[in-house]
Amino acid sequence: MLRSLCSRLVPHSLVCAFTRGMSAYPPHYIEAIFSKKKQLNLKETDEYIKLSHMPIKAAKNDESESIFYNELVNKMVNYITKGGNKKLARELLTKSFECMKRVQIERMNLNPDAKDTIIADPEQLLIKAIENSRPLLQLTAIKRGGVKYQVPIPVTEKRSYFLAMKWILEAAREKERKVHLPEKLAWEVLDAAYNQGRVVKKKNDLHRQCEANRAYAHYRWS
Amino acid sequence: MRVPTAVFAYKNRDARAPQKEHTVPFQEILPLRLKNRVSGKADSSSDVACLQEMGVLFACLKDNEFVEKYCNKEIQQFQKCYKFYADSKFEAKKTVNQGIITPGKNLNYKQLNKYMRRFPNPQ
Repeated sequence: MLRSLCSRLVPHSLVCAFTRGMSAYPPHYIEAIFSKKKQLNLKETDEYIKLSHMPIKAAKNDESESIFYNELVNKMVNYITKGGNKKLARELLTKSFECMKRVQIERMNLNPDAKDTIIADPEQLLIKAIENSRPLLQLTAIKRGGVKYQVPIPVTEKRSYFLAMKWILEAAREKERKVHLPEKLAWEVLDAAYNQGRVVKKKNDLHRQCEANRAYAHYRWS
Repeated sequence: MRVPTAVFAYKNRDARAPQKEHTVPFQEILPLRLKNRVSGKADSSSDVACLQEMGVLFACLKDNEFVEKYCNKEIQQFQKCYKFYADSKFEAKKTVNQGIITPGKNLNYKQLNKYMRRFPNPQ
């Protein structure tokens, strides 16, 4: 029924062919551009006139132009969340940020010469940590002639961000019972931001494995 | 005296003679005409892309003990290649799904199926 509706609304629509139709919006609605800067940039191009005649979805309620808004940080909160308890996740990340900042300020005071090089902004630290732990490649098992080969394949940008955050969080969750998550997360993020620690090692190990299996790279299938 | 084999052939004619049509009637197990569609299996090309870039990247990573900052150029090239490949694949998929028929020899399976639905084989 939905498909027929789809074809009636927008005949031969590309969007219809690609969506499952779970959204509250019809498929021809486009994503809102909530950033003022992006809007102003768009205004200079012809795209703006085109967009002004398109139906647009409402912006999501956690997206804003506030200086406290950061896409990657929001994503991290979502990954920390367990059982829908986002409030707790946000609190945990804030605590972790506080922990990071304390550590960095302590480092600053211990080493006054390197004051300019030490980053104390926890958001920046988190972003840097994620960027440092993003993998370039990954391995997938592909069966050829009854043997499973580990074949290196490139990862998309989105997936690389996902993997980086997942690994950081996994490393943070693997701790002793008496250590709290914010503390451990802060340490893992700080380590990764300085290009050391378990997460970066995990990434490098994956790259090493990919390199070892490079002979199978042409087995890539689908 | 040597008997030529042709004589035997004539004598035991049942041995090698063709089957008689009325005793073994021909059965048409599958219809002896082509279907009005083709499968899309042959169209799915292999997914191997950016092998050369990957090789260069591996060589660089191995030389620099897997420290990425020394291989920025290679990494960028590799990612650019993959992005281009993924984007072009996505675009191609879009046009295939649209199934717009263009005149010419190079038709994909969807276009062929559309043609054959319009002009089916005579029954």
